Amino acid sequence: MPKYTDNNDLIFESMIQASKVPVSTEEKKALYDAYNSLMELASKTRQSNRAWDVRMLPIFTPKIPKGGSDDC
Amino acid sequence: MIVDRGIPTIAQAARQIKAGLLSPVTLVENCLNRIEKYDPVINAFHTVFSEQAIIDAKQAEKEIEGGKYRGPLHGIPIGLKDVFYLKNHKTTANSRVMAEFEAEEDATVITRLREAGSIFMGQLNTYEFTFGGRPTFDALYPPARNPWNIDRSTGGSSSGSGAAVAAGGCLGALGSDAGGSIRTPSAFCGIAGMKATFGRVSAFGDLPLSFSFDCVGPMTWTSEDSALMLQVLAGYDERDPGSVDIPVADYVSQLDKGVQGLKIGFIRHFFTTDFAAPSVITQAIDAMRTTLEDMGAIVDEVQVSPLIDWHAVGRIILPAEAYAIHEENLQNRWEDFGPLARNRMMLGSLVRAVDYIQAQRRRTELLGEIEATLRNHDILITTAMLTPQPPLDDKAPFPFLDVPMIAVPFNLTLHPVQTVRAGFFEDGMPIGAQIVGRHWEEATVLRVAHAFEKKAGLLKQYPNLD
Repeated sequence: MPKYTDNNDLIFESMIQASKVPVSTEEKKALYDAYNSLMELASKTRQSNRAWDVRMLPIFTPKIPKGGSDDC
Repeated sequence: MIVDRGIPTIAQAARQIKAGLLSPVTLVENCLNRIEKYDPVINAFHTVFSEQAIIDAKQAEKEIEGGKYRGPLHGIPIGLKDVFYLKNHKTTANSRVMAEFEAEEDATVITRLREAGSIFMGQLNTYEFTFGGRPTFDALYPPARNPWNIDRSTGGSSSGSGAAVAAGGCLGALGSDAGGSIRTPSAFCGIAGMKATFGRVSAFGDLPLSFSFDCVGPMTWTSEDSALMLQVLAGYDERDPGSVDIPVADYVSQLDKGVQGLKIGFIRHFFTTDFAAPSVITQAIDAMRTTLEDMGAIVDEVQVSPLIDWHAVGRIILPAEAYAIHEENLQNRWEDFGPLARNRMMLGSLVRAVDYIQAQRRRTELLGEIEATLRNHDILITTAMLTPQPPLDDKAPFPFLDVPMIAVPFNLTLHPVQTVRAGFFEDGMPIGAQIVGRHWEEATVLRVAHAFEKKAGLLKQYPNLD
């Protein structure tokens, strides 16, 4: 399983600062607890030895122009 | 709980209006009377278009009498979730941030309803910026209350839409759904609601929460009514980059085909082994299986990844996209957000690019699971709720981190889903189920939902508002 990180606290503090959003100290405490739950969930989205061709969704494909492919 | 309330379904009203047996003016007046009597407590509407609704109903009546009947929504009272662009009105998403926002044009779904002759009854409450989870008391308008028990949550975010239809303030309502925001309030308020295939109904003019999940759809008393509304709402719109240009099926003519021979898989582990829902929910879904089997469906149980895997993907993607949409306002107008909404969105600022992309890749794998299952089944069914309706004043700041999201799997996979009433708790509160179909096969989903509703007979019970 790919390792997430050894230092969530550092990431949390840095990302809150980087956001430039004026979060209060009290709200930051609640966010910190929620953040830890969120990172546990993030670890569940990782898959060991996931194939290279598992792409992210949604996948955008240009649409065929009106009139069909002959117009291309 | 009562057995009648004198408000017809859309299908009943449409037949009577077309035959000249029901005046749209009378119908609108009946709904306005109910709004006047009950909405001061229910709070489904934050703005009621009383005068304009009567004017529009008189115009509809005149047209119909003159032989210009537009179709089943002509003269039908409809409520509008306050997230859709509506010319000459504010669109607020129940946020002080949007208190003065007025769009210059209608959302596409508003235009389609106008052209169908619907009567707009007013704007309906929502959770701030449609972020679900629980009702908010800290936003622009107070939360809607559940008509079955005013001390319980309606679910959200289409909270006013669920409450208004359940209370009979309108016959149908518009909702939007990025993680269950049509389906959860439909289930909690005991009504029907459809999240169609992503791209089936235009989202142009729907204030966004999540670009890759946002869907717009109908909320009604019956699934027959959902079909009538979806017939008007569905269709390609070049102004919505997610809209897909494929023909719209006839949802209504297929409703009475029954379920004989359809293969239906039940995803039971979501609400048993993955999360221990109350036994009464399990019993309701199991009884639904028996009903459909008795009607000739071929039913079995199917397995996909545990619910927590679906929940994890939804919980990463949704706040990340919501934060990206609202970043500038969060930085500059923090005080104008309610604390609950802003903190939910702030979670998205903590999602790294790699987290988001891994979640989207996991989403691809999970989509593959449902697609594989639907190669052998016409329909999948699971519960629409894992718990009873919580208290209205539940104070948990991040409830969605505690209880997995039962609706989000089909936002990830973009499949069409109809919520139906499946039973009742011991205290009389409704229980909902989700009926899921293949991409673009809303007609099959609605056909199963309609067949079940008719056979089960659960919709003959209404909330007692007196």
